[in-house]
Amino acid sequence: MSPARVDNLDLMAPPIIRTIGRRSLVVGLIFAALSLIGAFIRPDQFFRAYLLSFMAWLGVCLGSMAILMLRHLTKGGWGMIIRRILGAAMRTLPLLALLFIPIFLGLPKLYIWARPLDSISDQHLREHLQQVTQSYLSVSGFAIRAVIYFVIWGGLIFFLTRWSSEQDHPSARDNSTRFKALSGPGLVLYGFTISFAAIDWVMSIDPSWISTIYGLSFLIGEVLSALCFAVVVERILFRYKPMSELLKPDYVHDHGKLMLAFIMVWAYFAFSQWLIIWAGNLPDEITWYMRRLNGGWGYVGLFLVLFHFAVPFVFLLSRPFKRDVTRLVWLAIWIMLMRYLDLYWMIEPNFSQKLSVTWADVVVPFAVGGLWLGYFFHNLASKPLVPAYDVSANEVLEPVHD
Amino acid sequence: MRRAGTYGFMAEFDSPTSLVAAAHRVQQAGYRKVDAYSPFPIEGLAEAVGFHRDEMPLVVLIGGLIGGITGYAMQYWMSVISYPINVGGKPYHSWPAFIIVTFEMTILFAGISAVLGMLALNGLPMPYHPVFNVPRFAFATKDRFFLIVFSSDPKYSSIETRRFLESLSPRSIAEVPD
Repeated sequence: MSPARVDNLDLMAPPIIRTIGRRSLVVGLIFAALSLIGAFIRPDQFFRAYLLSFMAWLGVCLGSMAILMLRHLTKGGWGMIIRRILGAAMRTLPLLALLFIPIFLGLPKLYIWARPLDSISDQHLREHLQQVTQSYLSVSGFAIRAVIYFVIWGGLIFFLTRWSSEQDHPSARDNSTRFKALSGPGLVLYGFTISFAAIDWVMSIDPSWISTIYGLSFLIGEVLSALCFAVVVERILFRYKPMSELLKPDYVHDHGKLMLAFIMVWAYFAFSQWLIIWAGNLPDEITWYMRRLNGGWGYVGLFLVLFHFAVPFVFLLSRPFKRDVTRLVWLAIWIMLMRYLDLYWMIEPNFSQKLSVTWADVVVPFAVGGLWLGYFFHNLASKPLVPAYDVSANEVLEPVHD
Repeated sequence: MRRAGTYGFMAEFDSPTSLVAAAHRVQQAGYRKVDAYSPFPIEGLAEAVGFHRDEMPLVVLIGGLIGGITGYAMQYWMSVISYPINVGGKPYHSWPAFIIVTFEMTILFAGISAVLGMLALNGLPMPYHPVFNVPRFAFATKDRFFLIVFSSDPKYSSIETRRFLESLSPRSIAEVPD
């Protein structure tokens, strides 16, 4: 079953990948040191930015896991070509679990429900908090649930990785049935866990506000940023062998189409939430938007409508644009920035009535991102870019015909 | 009867690969008015016969825009001009409520214009087409692959073109009566 081309094409990532990884790690460490200093000077600002950065990079990790499971269920060359990029991204979960610990240290700074009830002056809010902290939002409950999420994600990633590694060896058996059996329930589990995680970690910053589509907005955001990240990495790899031999315009076209679909789903969820809350116009719900549309935050919201949805949408309608990875990559980078801005717009207005950008919002993402990328590129370099002995590997290992 | 003339020369091939190869050769020889027929879509064939762009995306875009504008204008007219009702104290012109129907109308009109535009640009329905004058052309829907050089091509000549197509070693060659 060994494809002939495996013998004369080295499937390992080019050496430059390790270099990029080392540089990312250095950048990460420098910014981590800066963040640490900042954490002592302005802990309140630090923890907000830290939660934001954590959620942004966690999104790339978990989104990659979701796309990978989607690939196992649907097959296709588009998924095979980025399979190991997604795999390397999802294997960063141990680092993210470690990076979750600092959030515990800042719990009372981030979450009003984690503060002593006596410290809350607003009578109405205190009564509400008394209820929710007893039933759901307690510190121990928060911790137990976080462990459950990470165990579930870790379990899925463990098996996906292990079975995928088997396909690097000539004696590999066909794992596609096992992958399918895990990926179907895995996607459902991911949908539930990420919804609960989004409620626990972000929505609960404002414990009096509820939106039922909130978890799904996070889910699609994560999948979108993971896909964009995969396109960026595939562009870097495309400069060198073996990716320059393997990546065909058809695969890039599919990535572009998926990007368009995910952007539209994101817009659909974001708009549905807005339409329902706007139509109801109830004090409990509309306050979330009142905060995010006033005091300068409205400009950020409008910016997101235009540059997270409208402009990328128009670009992605073009077929030649979607087929050319050297052009698509710029949009992918842009959308990753917009993902960050979207999270920023969801988290920051909880703490500040007026539009404000702190030093931490700029420094901390580089700290988390640098460390994360260092780990990612290390993972990417440690395995072949295509599992050569997978039953469906041949479709990408066939020579490119002009 | 229409005037007796020639529509072009048709060559028959056995495989998609030989059809694409022949199409490349015909392009290189300088023929521009060329078309190909096959029982199923072949990767790269459209480019090989010199077909690069079509007007379909434009038709669909215009259809979509018309649908969107119609949808919005219809709701505006209904809720602001024709029958204004105060709903929850919101302004008559409440754009968020209009978005869904506007979106659906965009999709509907874009879809309809895609179907109608495809038919119109293909010149369908077409009760008569000269290629069917060649009896063997019936195999184009089964397992044969055909290439035609139209007589409207500036390089077309009843002797030279036939000779050239013969050099591509097709299974058969036929002159297509108009």
